[in-house]
Amino acid sequence: MGLPCGFGASTLQTLKLVAIPSSFSMLRPCISKTLSLHSYHHFQRSSLPFLSRALSATALQSTSIANEDEKVVKPQWRAAIDFKWIRDNKDSVAANIKNRNSNADLELVLELYERLSNLQKEVERLRGERNVVANKMKGKLERSERQRLIEEGKNLKEGLAALEEDLVELTDKLQQEAQSIPNMTHPDVPIGGEDCSVLRRMVGSPREFSFPVKDHLQLGKGLDLFDFDAAAEVSGSKFYYLKNEAVMLEMALINWTLSEVTKRGYTPLTTPEIVRSSVIEKCGFQPRGANTQVYSIEGSDQCLIGTAEIPVGGIHMDSILASSTLPLKYVAYSHCFRTEAGAAGTATRGLYRVHQFSKVEMFILCRPEDSDTYHEELIGIEEDLFSSLGLHFRTLDMASGDLGAPAYRKFDVEAWMPGLERYGEISSASNCTDYQSRRLGIRFRPSSEISTGPKKGKTNIPTQFVHTLNATACAVPRMVICLLENFQKEDGSVIIPEPLIPFMGGLDLIRPKSK
Amino acid sequence: MKGKLERSERQRLIEEGKNLKEGLAALEEDLVELTDKLQQEAQSIPNMTHPDVPIGGEDCSVLRRMVGSPREFSFPVKDHLQLGKGLDLFDFDAAAEVSGSKFYYLKNEAVMLEMALINWTLSEVTKRGYTPLTTPEIVRSSVIEKCGFQPRGANTQVYSIEGSDQCLIGTAEIPVGGIHMDSILASSTLPLKYVAYSHCFRTEAGAAGTATRGLYRVHQFSKVEMFILCRPEDSDTYHEELIGIEEDLFSSLGLHFRTLDMASGDLGAPAYRKFDVEAWMPGLERYGEISSASNCTDYQSRRLGIRFRPSSEISTGPKKGKTNIPTQFVHTLNATACAVPRMVICLLENFQKEDGSVIIPEPLIPFMGGLDLIRPKSK
Repeated sequence: MGLPCGFGASTLQTLKLVAIPSSFSMLRPCISKTLSLHSYHHFQRSSLPFLSRALSATALQSTSIANEDEKVVKPQWRAAIDFKWIRDNKDSVAANIKNRNSNADLELVLELYERLSNLQKEVERLRGERNVVANKMKGKLERSERQRLIEEGKNLKEGLAALEEDLVELTDKLQQEAQSIPNMTHPDVPIGGEDCSVLRRMVGSPREFSFPVKDHLQLGKGLDLFDFDAAAEVSGSKFYYLKNEAVMLEMALINWTLSEVTKRGYTPLTTPEIVRSSVIEKCGFQPRGANTQVYSIEGSDQCLIGTAEIPVGGIHMDSILASSTLPLKYVAYSHCFRTEAGAAGTATRGLYRVHQFSKVEMFILCRPEDSDTYHEELIGIEEDLFSSLGLHFRTLDMASGDLGAPAYRKFDVEAWMPGLERYGEISSASNCTDYQSRRLGIRFRPSSEISTGPKKGKTNIPTQFVHTLNATACAVPRMVICLLENFQKEDGSVIIPEPLIPFMGGLDLIRPKSK
Repeated sequence: MKGKLERSERQRLIEEGKNLKEGLAALEEDLVELTDKLQQEAQSIPNMTHPDVPIGGEDCSVLRRMVGSPREFSFPVKDHLQLGKGLDLFDFDAAAEVSGSKFYYLKNEAVMLEMALINWTLSEVTKRGYTPLTTPEIVRSSVIEKCGFQPRGANTQVYSIEGSDQCLIGTAEIPVGGIHMDSILASSTLPLKYVAYSHCFRTEAGAAGTATRGLYRVHQFSKVEMFILCRPEDSDTYHEELIGIEEDLFSSLGLHFRTLDMASGDLGAPAYRKFDVEAWMPGLERYGEISSASNCTDYQSRRLGIRFRPSSEISTGPKKGKTNIPTQFVHTLNATACAVPRMVICLLENFQKEDGSVIIPEPLIPFMGGLDLIRPKSK
């Protein structure tokens, strides 16, 4: 077992994370509670990572500099933006902003950068003059001459202090504006709104039923799997208890997914679910915007995560990684919390949109030239997982107007949900290139070609930003909807897909309970 | 005033009626205020105490049972942090940057160990007739109060959500207690036995300076909790059942532990009686609490509004015993089946080998995909 970022090969191949012994059986009948059936609302797409709400990103920091009356708050962090590159590529940047329907103000950024450059030159010039004066004062001088130089030195110092203050203010303002510029876009990404997304792959076809199809809520009621009513009293709407075999199914999905992805060389993790809000911002989300998806903790700068992408992205914050450690591949299991603000009226029925859920997430840090390849690897893993479960799904290359600010390219997988009579998103795979790493401060030092011992390529080669990618391996509630609705039998029982059976302690069928 | 009256008589009565009405309104206002004040004061009266509970402070707790004995090591013992470092199981440093102190990432086999503990525990307890559940981890603060905790006190253990009346749970006892809030259960449904897996969040305010090293005291952890609602006359029996299950589970894992009957000064307000299990942690060189089983009798149910209607003795058809017999409050009990971080400490420290590897106890091996040993990674 020698891999620094995973298990030894022999263990990986035979790994079954959970083999619940087949003696584990559901013997006890339970009291069912009446599930209230909400009226069906027209489906409106929203991507699983809520990046689309960050599109009109402004003020990723806590500063507001514009108004003299307002207190200027120092930004907690700064993204390492390549202003020169933006200036030199302003036409493509402008086109990209337009294609993504972003509110970023490129003209303002360029203007501020110009002013900043000039101001920096001016400051340099004044510093130079101040040094000249200081040097002159070292020699032998007449009193009047010395006096004059002292005066000049003082004026320069004051002037410089004022300019340096302007410099800081201008830098803050420039950062604020520039940080809202969305990531560039992969050339193959279709330009346009949601309806322009392109079909990459279709797997399977909708199952034909010889009996009336039930949706997951009806199936859950018959099988005593959920309680939404009690959760509404205890916590509020869009919360739920899972019961009986649904608990086994959640655990089976998590365990199987962790096992499958770990086998492929990803390091398994569990993560904090409370993080500092600055980390959320650095990943490209807006914890404190209107209609934020993020729950905040009272009396602190902490928030609940909406995805493990955030705490995993934060692991290597402000670090320089050795090139030999790349790629770093993680598979992380966490609970996720989302306010779903602004989602009222959309498909909110049952498990489709909830405030809390379990998710297994894949995350990769790699060299820039490799990110396209790893994007393909991630979507490949997702498609393998969903195929093995026997789901019918389609993979879409999301259009430019539907990408979140961090994503260079995004593939969404939508699975057929017969009870809802439509496709529903079950996963998303994004290549964020260096958008997140510039904010999280994650660099690597490329190795030189000649290996000359322990210090090979250490000091000569400048660092670069890594590329980061993230992809949903398993979002449990959506998967539960898929499994229940697709594998239902006429009597309301549900067949367990073969790969999950060992993880269900040998259970292959969920049967209705006698009352 | 309904009868036939002379005008002056009617006038007098109207006057009298008006005075009475105003006087009544004032008194009714006082009544409400007094009731509120009485409630507030009375609700802070702790639950009564089982007659066998030792009276006194923490050091008066009585040993109920001792299982096993401290393992003797032929080599220097490492604590769980050192073992974790050698086995690449934790990251506290990155978590401190991302989230703050007392947060952590689990890595590699530690993830498998957490999942194995949860899955095995759920399996074992479900086999014994408990209904498995997962629960919301965000709940209304009123539910937390009804369970006997104080979400908004100074040094509260409870995280609150900004801009809402919601809080994070510190234990699944809370959302499970809330399932049957404001309900009348049929006596035939009792006892109701649940085993719930959830993440738990605790501020650990006021715990600075105490044993805060590594996994011992953390802000977020996974826990499998047992919860019972039963008839009053049965709660002592179920308390014994719960501690019995806990002792079975910990014994099967090969842990050395002691069960204590907690002294009166160490019971929380809701608990009528509380048994704590403390396991031997060789790296910490002491016993550390790994679980707690409380009988809350009707303290929580009176606040949560959980009643049942006892059935009458004569069965006379569908309406047997329905309207004549008044409802009573159920008794509630809760017990930790598995608090993952404390269990991880126990397993790592007790089952370490000289080279820093860790033996997996037999019951967990099938849940670890067959892995029976965690080995150090070569770097």
